[in-house]
Formats: sequence, C-alpha cells, structure tokens
Amino acid sequence: MDFYLGLAQVIGVHTLLGLSAWCVLHTGQVSLAQGGFFAIGAYASGMLTTMAGWPLGLALPAAALISAAVALAVGFPALRVKGLMLVVATVAFAEIVRLVFFNLSWRVNTPTGPVGPDGSLGFGGIRYFPSHGWSPAEILVLIWGLVALVMLVLAWLDRSRIGTLWRAVGEDEVAAQSVGINLTAAKVSAFGIGGAIAGLSGSMFSHYATHIEHSNFTILLATFAIAYPILGGLSSLWGTVLAVIFIQGFLIEGLRFLGDWRSLLFGALILLVMLLRPNGIISSPIGRWFSRAGGAPVPTPKEKVHA
Amino acid sequence: MLDLKQLSRSFGGVKALDQLDLSVRKGEILGLIGPNGSGKSTTVNLIAGLYKPSSGSLTFNGVDLAQCGTHERAALGIARTFQNIRLFANLSVWQNVWAARVVRDTGWAGLQKRWLSSGHIARDEVQELLAFSGLAGKADVLAGNLAFGEQRRLELARAAASGAELLLLDEPAAGMNAEEIDELDDRIRSLRDQGRTILLIEHHMELVMAVCDRIAVLNFGRKIAEGTPAQVQNDAAVRVAYLGSEDTATA
Repeated sequence: MDFYLGLAQVIGVHTLLGLSAWCVLHTGQVSLAQGGFFAIGAYASGMLTTMAGWPLGLALPAAALISAAVALAVGFPALRVKGLMLVVATVAFAEIVRLVFFNLSWRVNTPTGPVGPDGSLGFGGIRYFPSHGWSPAEILVLIWGLVALVMLVLAWLDRSRIGTLWRAVGEDEVAAQSVGINLTAAKVSAFGIGGAIAGLSGSMFSHYATHIEHSNFTILLATFAIAYPILGGLSSLWGTVLAVIFIQGFLIEGLRFLGDWRSLLFGALILLVMLLRPNGIISSPIGRWFSRAGGAPVPTPKEKVHA
Repeated sequence: MLDLKQLSRSFGGVKALDQLDLSVRKGEILGLIGPNGSGKSTTVNLIAGLYKPSSGSLTFNGVDLAQCGTHERAALGIARTFQNIRLFANLSVWQNVWAARVVRDTGWAGLQKRWLSSGHIARDEVQELLAFSGLAGKADVLAGNLAFGEQRRLELARAAASGAELLLLDEPAAGMNAEEIDELDDRIRSLRDQGRTILLIEHHMELVMAVCDRIAVLNFGRKIAEGTPAQVQNDAAVRVAYLGSEDTATA
C-alpha cells in the first residue's frame, strides 16, 4: 500500500512539473529550465520551513513566487533566442542552478541540531510533515489538491484571452506580432507562470522526500518535464496527466525489472510520438472526449449569428 | 496618413527598394504594383516592421515608425495580410479573429475598458467580421482545415479585427477564381467604406484597376509612375516595365 501511496505522490508532483512545461510549450517555446525552477522551489521551501521555521502554508506560495521571480528574470534575456538556442540556454540555466545547490553549504543550528543545505551531501531533515504528524495519505491529498487547483487555474487561463494569445504566439510568431501581440510579454508571462508551478511542484517534492540533493535535479528531470506535455498534447490538460501516469506508473515503475533499458524506451517513445502524433497521443477522439469533460480550451461563440 | 520618405532597403548588395517616396492618404485605396522582385513585398514588410530600412523614414499619423516594433505598429493601427497565408492553423476560425481583437484590450487601459463596458462588444465585433467574411458558419473549424479561399478571407477578417486604420493587403487575390475575386473587390470597398485606408499589393490587374483610387508602380526597387488607374495604364514607362520594350508596348 505504501508503495502505491508513494507512487501516487510522485505522479502528482510530476503532473505539476509537466503542467509547468505545458504552460511554456503553449507559446511554442521548448524549455529545459523547468527542472531548475523545480530545484529552486524545492530548496527554497525546504529552507523556509526548516531554517526559518515558516509554516508550510506560507513556504509553499513563497517558493512558488521565488521560482516565478527567477523565471521572469531569466525569461527576459533567454526568450530573445528561439528554437535550439533556447534549448541550449535553458539547459545551461538548469545546470547552473544544480551546481549552485551542489556548492551551497548553509546550515543553521536549531534545537534538533544543524539543518540546511550541505553542499554535495544534500539537504536533509526537511521533516515538516513527520514532525507535524501528517500521514502519507494526507500528504497525498495535499499534493493532488494542488494539482486540481493548478489545473483549474490553467483551464481558466487557457479559455481566457491570455490563453488564446499564448496559443497564437505558439502557432506563428510573425502573424502574432502583426496582429499586435507583444511576443516578449506573451512568452515571459507563460514562463513566469510555468516557473511558479514548477516551484510549487519542487516544494512538495522536498517535503515528501525529506532529503534532497543536486542529483535529483539533473537534465533527466527536465526531459521528463517537457516529455509529458509533448506526449499528452497541448489540446488538453488531461493529456499531461495521462502522460505522467503512463511514464511514471508504467514505464518507470511497471517496467522496473528492465533497469536502465527503460531510459531507452523513454527516448524511443518520445521519438515515436513526435513522428506519428506530433500533436500528442491525446489528440485523438478519446482525448477530445477528455478535453470536453475537462473543459474545452476553445471559447466558442455563445450566440447565434444573425447575418 | 502614411508617409515613406527616401525609403531604401538592401539585401547584401541588392537594392530591393531604392529611395521610395510614397504617401498613403486617409480613406483611399492605393494600389502598389510592379513586376516580380520590384520591391512590393519589401515595402509591406518595411511598413509592418518585419524589416528595418537601410535608410529613409516612415511616419504614420505623425509617429516615426522607426521607434516601433511590429506589435506596436499594429497597436497604432497598421495591420496586414500575408502573400503566403499565415494563420494560426491549430486555432479555430473564431479564435484567429478573437486573438487579433482582444489583444487591443490587454494591458491596464484595456482592463479598465473591459470593466467599464459590457464585455460583449469584442464578441459582437468578431461575429460581425466572421459574417462579413462569410465564415460565420465555420467559427469552430480549425483555421488550417479551411479551403484556400476561406483562409484568405479569414486572414482579412483577422487583420480587420486588430482595429486597423491602414490595411496592407499583400496579394489577396493570388490563387483565387474570378468569382472569389469579385467578392474580394466588394470586401475591399466595404472595408474602405467603414473608414479604413487600404494599400493593395496585387498582380491581378483587373482588380487593381477596378478598385484603386490611385496606383503607384515599382520596378527594380524604384517608383516609376504614380497616378489614377487611367494615367498609369497610359504611362510609357509602365508599359516598358510590364511588356519589356517600347516597341512591343505600342504594337
């Protein structure tokens, strides 16, 4: 039972991570920086609860805001470049973040002993949940509550003007500019919101894991983040959720006996989807049914036309 | 309304546009014609802001466009269509027009406007434009799934939705049949009757001669003639440019 609770937590946290990449992918930008924002959220909220003694209810939004602020600061220069160069720039950013945490040693003394990031040894003792008597099931409810909240916000955003403008930019930047869309504003806003969601995701990760270290935040994590919305497609948020369940539940856990061969399968899967279903596996009739159930992203005219 | 002064643009060593002086007057339909490679599309891209001029100036209603990015020019009231159609292919017909319409209401001023007004204005305008373009029944269709002629009509509706005072139409009749060109003629006129100014780049001479108030002719990046359709048709230099030599032109 604990195994399944743990898996459900992983899937929830990765769903948040995938949704953060979904946001950015909407504007046509392939970002591998999401793992970096995830790491920033993880360290920030861990440090706030353990070193500063903040309650989780404050540390969570604070970590999301910090990640969003970093995303905005990085987004303005990074989003000036496109395509492959953006991928390179965002990978570089994620590596810088990882190496900063690899080298960061900052421990403070608390009644229960010293806590804080300890360089390459990692950052342990993030024991907010155990010390406040949270059961794994309660943690799970919190994680999936956040997933639901983020999905509601994104579904609303997607139907709003902002979502339409994001999609327009993702479709054709030249045409988008020509109708008056500010490309920088559209891309940076998506990047900032994506950063906040990734930060939230990282916060939950550090608290259920209780010990984090730089090796949790490698390029593999960023690849997962971008793979979910690519596999699931952009037409519906459910696509990302299903992609996470499939990859984490089946490919990573279900096929555990295959060991490292799973990474090969993962790569092959992405390649296949890109070739066969460039709009994501979920952009099929079943996917459309899901997206209707979850709120179609298309704002259709309500009134009949009399002309 | 739009003034181009000594406008030049070179690509490498090639002068695509050479010291063009051109004024577009408010409320007119100005045709811009010329053989392939004469600089028509370069002119549109310079006005829309996709290219920067090598030298010369552009002013729109007194604003120096050199300081404005492409999206800022759209906000000032310049919109365009593309020679090779550029729609938001995976967005619905409705969303294509909606995006162009609502981007005007973003930002702080736009938020205030939305709070103060009923909020249905934008929706109604989009409906009207779709009806105007004969696309009202296809609002939910993905733009990429439309027939070619419909795509051209949608692009025009999208450009109009951005609130343009000046519409740059880059070969809107390309690939259209006679019936569709007749409809286009009507649409261009009624857009003008709504108070818009139109710069029409076109190869289809019947349309240009029928619909334009004035015509400017380019050849090798230079303006070789400007005047009413009748004047331009009888201009010797224009005949040479289009038909090759004086002899064949008069034959």
